[in-house]
Amino acid sequence: MGTMGLALPWRARISSVPRERGTRVEPSEHFAGGPNLAAVDAQGEDAALAAACRSGDLRAYERLYALHGARMKNLARNLVGNPVDAEDAVQETFLKVHRSIASFRGQSSFITWTYRILINTCYDARRSRRRKKEVANEDSEESPGLEPRAPGAHPALRMALERALAKLTQHQRDVFLLYEVEGFRHAEIAGMLEMTETASKNTLFQAKKNLRQMLEPPRTSAAGSR
Amino acid sequence: MTMNVTCSDRERIFEDGTPAEWAALEAHATSCPLCAQEVRGWKSLSVAAKQLRDYSDSPSFWPRIERALAEQAGRKAQSTGLRRWLLFFPSLSIRWQTALAVTFVLILTMSAGWVYFQRPVEPRDPSLLKSSALKEVESAETAYERAIDKLAAEAKPQLDNPATPLLANYHEKLLVLNSAIADLRAQAGMNPSNAQLRYQLLAMYREKQHTLEEVLEARQR
Repeated sequence: MGTMGLALPWRARISSVPRERGTRVEPSEHFAGGPNLAAVDAQGEDAALAAACRSGDLRAYERLYALHGARMKNLARNLVGNPVDAEDAVQETFLKVHRSIASFRGQSSFITWTYRILINTCYDARRSRRRKKEVANEDSEESPGLEPRAPGAHPALRMALERALAKLTQHQRDVFLLYEVEGFRHAEIAGMLEMTETASKNTLFQAKKNLRQMLEPPRTSAAGSR
Repeated sequence: MTMNVTCSDRERIFEDGTPAEWAALEAHATSCPLCAQEVRGWKSLSVAAKQLRDYSDSPSFWPRIERALAEQAGRKAQSTGLRRWLLFFPSLSIRWQTALAVTFVLILTMSAGWVYFQRPVEPRDPSLLKSSALKEVESAETAYERAIDKLAAEAKPQLDNPATPLLANYHEKLLVLNSAIADLRAQAGMNPSNAQLRYQLLAMYREKQHTLEEVLEARQR
């Protein structure tokens, strides 16, 4: 994995819980002024977790899993399209973190670094699966969303969304998943996908515009003249 | 202070609006059906995105990762031990490095010497003659052959016209011996260092010598 251990140009830290959504869906990026104690705590925990992982303590990895395992697996499932490959990707990510933790310089959040490894691992898994498909000469594209989901989900809506997501560009899909599904902030996404925060915002905007066009019924001419 | 936004601000706010701008847009949407529809549609995507969220835990997943991590840690520890041993040498001072290198060369030299002198001596094949011995044998053979030829020349008249059946038998025997000697000489010519052939040849010459002596004795009787 060529991206591991690279210096990131930003210092945003990631909390162990998804970005809180209140009654307002947008925007969540603009915080009121004043010291953010939660962010300071998150920074301390992040550094402590990185140090513990560097020391080789397997309990630190268990803590990492307890904090982020479910989110990592969900992200991987949405990126690779099935739960089996997703679990493999998450496991491989933990192994890569364990192998490469000595090269982690702390220039980004440890968790951002971990998610970057996960995303790259998912890309590799997707490429590898595509190659295998080509070799097997499978002409039908595998539907990514047929596995069972949490109770209460709306399968039709989910499948429609997954089909629409599959038509987006890779960056648009990744930003949408990271922001809207996993609840990361644009600063965090920028670190994971090696783009600027502004580019992340713009990509999300384009992704949502495209998704609306694909998912919503054609609007009236009056509504269309925006 | 209330911020004023218009329909033309909507997309910019969707992309990167502040909380105040969003509040102003929502206020504007209460009186603008088009913006109300757009805001609703925009927010519905965020709501729909929750369909892709499933944080249910699988109890067997962490133990599987833990096992893989433990295996990798074991392999890493083994390779680290070897690397540490290899890295030990450069950390020594130059004197110690020199002393260790000299000791190593001495041990190597002594081992090589010991192996050379203790090597098992290859047993020489006794049936093979050295070149000097071969020359001696060949010259002795030649002299012996000449002497026997002189003896054969003396016995020739009796053998060519044997007066008795005994002499006729000697004549037959000598023909067989001459034939055997000719065969052995031909083989010895191809394999001159073979001592066994030389011994056989010598035995044939002796037999020929004794036979000729008996022929000569029979003449004198």
